[in-house]
Amino acid sequence: MVDEILALAHRRGVEAEVYSSEVDRTLVEFRSGRHHSQETRLVSGYGLRVIKDGRLGFAASTNQDRPDQLLDAAIAVAEESKDRRAVFEFPPQQDLAPVHIFENRVMLVSPDRMAEWGKDLVSALKARVPGLKLDLSFVRTYREMRIRNSSGMDLGFERAEFELDASGLIVGDGLTWIFEYLNLSDGRPFNIEPLADRLEQKALWAQKKASLPSGEWPVIVMPTALTALLLPVTLGVDGKNREKKTSPLVEREGESVVAETLSIHDNPVRSHGMMSSPVDAEGMTRQKRTLFTRGVFNGFLYDIRTAAACGTETTASADRPWNRLPQPSVSNIEIDPGDRNLDYVLAETKQGLVVDGFIGEGQSNLLAGEVALNASSAFKIEDGAISGRVKDIMIAGNSYEMLSTVDAVGDRQRDLGRWFIPFVRLPSLRIASRE
Amino acid sequence: MKAFLKNVIDGLAVDYADIRAEEVERTGILYRGRDLDEMERSFERGGCLRVFHKGNWVVSTFNVLDDSLVELAEEMAARVGKLPSAPGMVASLGPHDETVPLALTPESDAETIDPRAVPLAEKHALIRHYNDILLAADGISTTLSRYQDVHREVAFLSSEDRYVNQRFVDTGFSCTAVAKDGTDIQTYSDSFGKPLGFAALRNREPVVERIARVALDLLQAEPVEAGTWPVIIDPLLAGVFAHEAFGHLSEADQVAENEQLRELMKLGSRFGVDELTIVDDATMFGERGSYRYDDEGASAERTELIRHGILVERLHNRQTAQQMNEPPTGNARALSYRFPPIVRMSNTYIEPRSRQLDDMLESMERGLYVVGSRGGMTELESFTFAAKYARLVEHGRLTKMVRNVTLSGNVFETMKNIDMIGDDLTMFGGIGGCGKEGQSPLPVGLGAPHISIKGIVIGGR
Repeated sequence: MVDEILALAHRRGVEAEVYSSEVDRTLVEFRSGRHHSQETRLVSGYGLRVIKDGRLGFAASTNQDRPDQLLDAAIAVAEESKDRRAVFEFPPQQDLAPVHIFENRVMLVSPDRMAEWGKDLVSALKARVPGLKLDLSFVRTYREMRIRNSSGMDLGFERAEFELDASGLIVGDGLTWIFEYLNLSDGRPFNIEPLADRLEQKALWAQKKASLPSGEWPVIVMPTALTALLLPVTLGVDGKNREKKTSPLVEREGESVVAETLSIHDNPVRSHGMMSSPVDAEGMTRQKRTLFTRGVFNGFLYDIRTAAACGTETTASADRPWNRLPQPSVSNIEIDPGDRNLDYVLAETKQGLVVDGFIGEGQSNLLAGEVALNASSAFKIEDGAISGRVKDIMIAGNSYEMLSTVDAVGDRQRDLGRWFIPFVRLPSLRIASRE
Repeated sequence: MKAFLKNVIDGLAVDYADIRAEEVERTGILYRGRDLDEMERSFERGGCLRVFHKGNWVVSTFNVLDDSLVELAEEMAARVGKLPSAPGMVASLGPHDETVPLALTPESDAETIDPRAVPLAEKHALIRHYNDILLAADGISTTLSRYQDVHREVAFLSSEDRYVNQRFVDTGFSCTAVAKDGTDIQTYSDSFGKPLGFAALRNREPVVERIARVALDLLQAEPVEAGTWPVIIDPLLAGVFAHEAFGHLSEADQVAENEQLRELMKLGSRFGVDELTIVDDATMFGERGSYRYDDEGASAERTELIRHGILVERLHNRQTAQQMNEPPTGNARALSYRFPPIVRMSNTYIEPRSRQLDDMLESMERGLYVVGSRGGMTELESFTFAAKYARLVEHGRLTKMVRNVTLSGNVFETMKNIDMIGDDLTMFGGIGGCGKEGQSPLPVGLGAPHISIKGIVIGGR
C-alpha cells in the first residue's frame, strides 16, 4: 500500500509522506471485583501528507485497497489550500535514538494471565478492605509506526505498553473513588503487594470524613494530582502557541517562571515511557530536552512546520494519530526529584491538605495558565497526620503562579506512564470549601 | 451487508453475539489566526464483534471486513466459553430488519443533509468567513476556527437476527477568539452543531460577532470572589449540569455493578424539588444525541430520569436492563467501530416550568448570573463546571462581568437547592461531546431553562 502511494504520488509530481500506524490492544477488565470482559482492538491506518506546487495537503484512511482515493483526497486538499504554503520539505533519512520501549515479556502475557493477576489482586484487597469492590483494567498495547517519504526516509519502530488501572468505590458518608496506576511496560513480574498496600492506605484514609474551612493552607500535591497543574505548562511550551503568541511563555526564555525547586524535562527517550520513541511522528531523532532548569524557562517544543514558521529548528516533538496532521506536543514529562520524604513533610504540617486527584482539568482558560479544579480525592492533615477525606474543595488560580511557590519536592519520581514526577508542596494555597 | 454479517456470527455456540460494520468519512478545517492550519479528509472502515456467554464478554474491533472474521468469531466464541461463568444475561429484543433513512422526518431530504455532497471549497469558504469576522474585531490577537463534518453508515446484526442499518451526519463549527493585553490572555468560544447538514451552518454571523465582543470584555472583567453564592445559571450551563452532574449517575452500568450505589440511587428516592423533571430523549428531531436505534439494536426512547423530584428511571444497555430487571432504554452507544457500546446519554434536559428570568433576577439581592460552559466533569456525586463568565446580580439587576467562575459541589445537595426553574428551555449541540471510558467526544444534546440555585461553591480568587 505505502509503496503504491509513493509511486502514484511520484507519477503525479507531488512530494509525499506516508505515516502508517498499527495498534493491537488487549484489554482485560474487572468490574466490582468480577471478571467482566476481554477485548482486542486492532486498528491500522495511513496518514498521507503531500506537497503540491508548494501547498500542503492531507488525507487519511484505513482502507488498504484504495491508495488512489487517499492520494486524490490529499491532492484535492492541497489544491484547496491556496493560503497554506508548505514552508518546509520532507526530511531525508534520520538516525533512531536508542530507547527501550519494547519487551518481549510484555507481549507474552496472555489475557488469561492478566485475568489471574486480577483475581489475585481482588482477593488480596478483599482480605484487607472488606466491602471494597475493585474495577481493574489491564491494557496491553503493541504499536508499530512507520514513516516513509519521497525524500528517502524509511524508518519505524515498535513499542509495547502495558498498564494497569485499579479503582474502587467507597460508599460511606458520601461516595469516594480511590484509584491507582501501574506501568508494567518494562516486563517485570506483576507484584501485587505494593499496589495492594497503596490501595489499602487510601481506602483507610477515605473512610473517615473531615473538613477544612476556606482559607490559605499548605497543600501537598501528589503526583497523580500534579498532572492537572502541569497541564497549562505543557500547552505553554508548545511551539504552536509561540507561533500564535498565545503562550504566556513567549519571549520569556531565560526568565525564572516556576520555583527554583523545579527542573522539568520533556523526555521522549525515557525507558518504557508511554510517549517514548526513537523518532518523532515526522521521523526526526528524539532527545531529552530540559524545559525549565531550576525554574528558568529554556525554550519551546517544535515540529518541522511550526519550527519553520518560527524561524528555528524542529525539536523532534511532532506527535499525531494516524488520521491527523502532526503537531508539536510534549512527550513524557519528568520533574527532578527533590530531597523531601513524604512522611517528614506530613509530620511537619500542623493543618493542611493532601490532594491525590483533581477533576476539572482542561475546563478553564488553560492557555493563560488558569486552572479551576475540584479536589475529588483529598485528605486533611491534622497535627502531622492524615485525619480523613475532605470533599467539595475548589482550587482556582494561575498554575504558573502556584508552581512558582513550590517549596518542597518529593525525593522520588512516581511513574504515571507519561509523567515521571514527585509530589510537591505549595506552602500557602487559597482553597474554597463549603465550610 | 446483512448476508456478510450473518455469515460471521451465524451458528456461534454462545448466549448472544452481535457485529457492527461501519464506514466513516470526515472533513476537518482549522484556522489559527490568519493561517489555514489544518485541512483534512479521512475515510475509515471497520467493525466491532462481540460475543457474550455465561456472564462474560469477549470483544474485538478491526479495520478489515472480510471472510477472516468468520475464523475470528469462532476463536472468540471458544475463548468466551472457557472463561469462568458468572451471573448475568443480556436482554433479548427479537428479530427485526430495518434500514433507517438519513432523514429523520418524512419532510427532510437526505441529499441536502449529506455533507459529502458539499464541495470542499464551500466548507472552506464558510469557516474562513467566520474566522475573518473574528479577526476584524479590534483587539483580537488570534483565533481558532474549526469546521467539521462526519458521515457514518453503521450496519448492526445480532444473533437474534436483529438487523439495523443507519446513517448519521454531524456538521458543525466552533470559533474561539483570543484577546490579549500584556500577559493577560482571555479566550471566548462558541459553537454550533446539529445533524441538519451544511446549510444549517450558514447565517450564523451574529453568534460569531458576539464571540469577539465577549473575549474583549473578559480582559476588563475581574476574577470572581471565591465562596458560596446564590446563582442563576443559563440554559447551557444548566444543561451541562443535568448531563454531567446527574445524567452520568443515572447510567446504570456503575449502579448495576455496585450494591451500595444501587441503594443510593434507588428508584422512588427524592432527588430534588417538586418542579424538577430531568429527561433523556434520543427521539428528538434534529438534536445531536438523536438516533432511531442504539448500538445494540434497541430502539431509542424518551426516558424520564427524575419526575417531580423523584428518581423514576435510569439509562440502560441490554445487560444492565436484564441485571436490574428494568426495561431496556436504548442507551448503548459506541463512539465508533473502534469501541464496544457502553451506557450513554442521548439528549438530556431539564423540563421547563413557569418562571421568567426577570422574576428570578428580581428576587436576588446579591448573587451571580452564570453564563455558558467551558466544560464540566463529575466524579460520582462531586461535580465541577467552569462557566464562560458570570455577571454580578445586585438588588435584582445585572451589573459587572466577572471571570474565572467555576462551580463545584455535591449533586444531591445542589439539586435540592434548586429553587426556581424557568420557562425558556433551549437545546444545545456544538461540535464536542461527552467523554466516558475513553470514548470521546460522543455527540450528545443537552439543555434546560434558566434555573436558580440557593447556594453553590464558586472557585475564584
